[in-house]
Amino acid sequence: MKKQKQNYSISHKKYLKSLLIKKVSIHISRILLLVLLLGAWELCASLNIIDPFITSSPSRIIKQISFLVQDGVLFHHSWVTLYETLLAFAISTIAGTLIALVLYIIPAVRKVLEPYLIILNSLPKIALGPLIIVWMGTGTKAIVMMGILICIIITTISMLNGYISVPKEKILLMKTMGASGFQILTRLVVPASFSDFISVLKINVGMSWVGVVMGEYLTSKAGLGYLIVYGGQVFKLDLVMSAIVVLCILAGLMYGLVALLEMYINKKRT
Amino acid sequence: MENLLEIQNVCLTYHSPASETEALKELNLSIKEGEFISIVGPSGCGKTTILSLIAGILKPTSGNIFIRGEKIEKPGFHTGYMFQRDNLFEWLNIWKNVTLGLNFKKRNNEENKSYAKELIEKYGLGEFIRHYPTELSGGMRQRVALIRTLCLKPDLLLLDEPFSALDYQTRLNVQDDVSLVIKKEKKTAILVTHDISEAIAMSSKIIVLTPRPATIKSIITLDFDPKLTPFERRKEKSFNTYFNKVWEELV
Ligand SMILES: Nc1ncnc2c1ncn2[C@@H]1O[C@H](COP(=O)(O)OP(=O)(O)O)[C@@H](O)[C@H]1O
Ligand SMILES: [Mg+2]
Repeated sequence: MKKQKQNYSISHKKYLKSLLIKKVSIHISRILLLVLLLGAWELCASLNIIDPFITSSPSRIIKQISFLVQDGVLFHHSWVTLYETLLAFAISTIAGTLIALVLYIIPAVRKVLEPYLIILNSLPKIALGPLIIVWMGTGTKAIVMMGILICIIITTISMLNGYISVPKEKILLMKTMGASGFQILTRLVVPASFSDFISVLKINVGMSWVGVVMGEYLTSKAGLGYLIVYGGQVFKLDLVMSAIVVLCILAGLMYGLVALLEMYINKKRT
Repeated sequence: MENLLEIQNVCLTYHSPASETEALKELNLSIKEGEFISIVGPSGCGKTTILSLIAGILKPTSGNIFIRGEKIEKPGFHTGYMFQRDNLFEWLNIWKNVTLGLNFKKRNNEENKSYAKELIEKYGLGEFIRHYPTELSGGMRQRVALIRTLCLKPDLLLLDEPFSALDYQTRLNVQDDVSLVIKKEKKTAILVTHDISEAIAMSSKIIVLTPRPATIKSIITLDFDPKLTPFERRKEKSFNTYFNKVWEELV
């Protein structure tokens, strides 16, 4: 919808101003909270109220990160994890969406598989770790597989629910206009489930990182998960914290990209 | 004159795990070209079922339905269906919504497209062609739904309580709009409604159904000056007489 410039009344201007003030103060509070927490952490560590050897501290993390960057190590490990995550994210999103479509098209298969899906969904996927390693080896494949396993079931279930919730009357309408089954799918069911797809993307951004880091805990020679495990074993908590910070940043960026995509497509559609 | 629609001895029984529902029993009905029929009856008596059968999205348990002498077995070219809700696709603009049906059954030719454009212009939606359904009022949306149906050039329009989701004032206006469009485009229509005055205002004939399983209880032919709009009919003396007549048939 287009915004029009209008001559607002004084009370409306006041209202808009108060909205703006609220919005700005929330942003400021957020930043303030972060600064406060980091400041308290740093202060406690430097005054030895907490042991920086165990808790690390912001300044030590920054030092560690810049050291890792200079070494070129950080980029390498981040890239390994990012690559695995993107792969798991893409494969599970595409495959889950397609599997859901097949289940939607063939209700008999859906009915048969329903209990299996429910059990698989509630199964803690990490329990399959040893099996994955035996079957797929200890390389990237096993790690990506872990990521896929975590995402694909929930993707399938969410997309299936999306397809099923397309209003019956709209399907009838398509039939009365002479649409074929395939046309009902491509012109109605798929576009109508778009918002479900976006929320699946958002869930999968988080879940694929979870799966991949878990996979790296199980078996890895590189990656941020590897750095975290390694740092823990040799008691280099600065390294652990640094890897966590980089994870946060990467996951946040990926979520942001999905949100941007959503905004872009929504704009194109309206 | 030959009948446009022939319903012969149609029965329909729904089956569900809990029960068996006999919705229609030995229904016979014929409709001539250019008629505007309203069907009224107690709720749940089988009105929607009748329209679904005519549209071919439901098969009769027994009996036959013919349109222009052709037996109806699946959804085809003959009928256009309008539901209670407009069912516009929110992700398509008005033009794409109106021409949605042209994508099916090889109807996507220039002639049909220009007919769609003509209808849009003629019925006051020209400036909204690039707008999205959420930007339109309920009455305008229902008009878009009607044009979407009309541009498929159906022989018979099936209207299933298409105004009941609208507020009262909008409903009166849209009744006038729709009635005008149908008259101008010389369409035959069957309107299902639970609103007696709507049936009297819009149609040439009212069919009153019995409770389920539905059979025809009575047929009331309405005699108004053909120039009157539905709204103007409501001011006629005979309107009340008809109302009482239908009312008595229903109770
Ligand atoms: N798919 C269905 N399965 C079982 N029973 C149905 C189904 N559709 C409608 N019915 C039943 O058939 C009867 C007639 O339904 P319907 O034609 O929708 O009534 P109306 O439109 O007159 O309100 C109702 O009693 C309804 O409960
Ligand atoms: Mg009904």
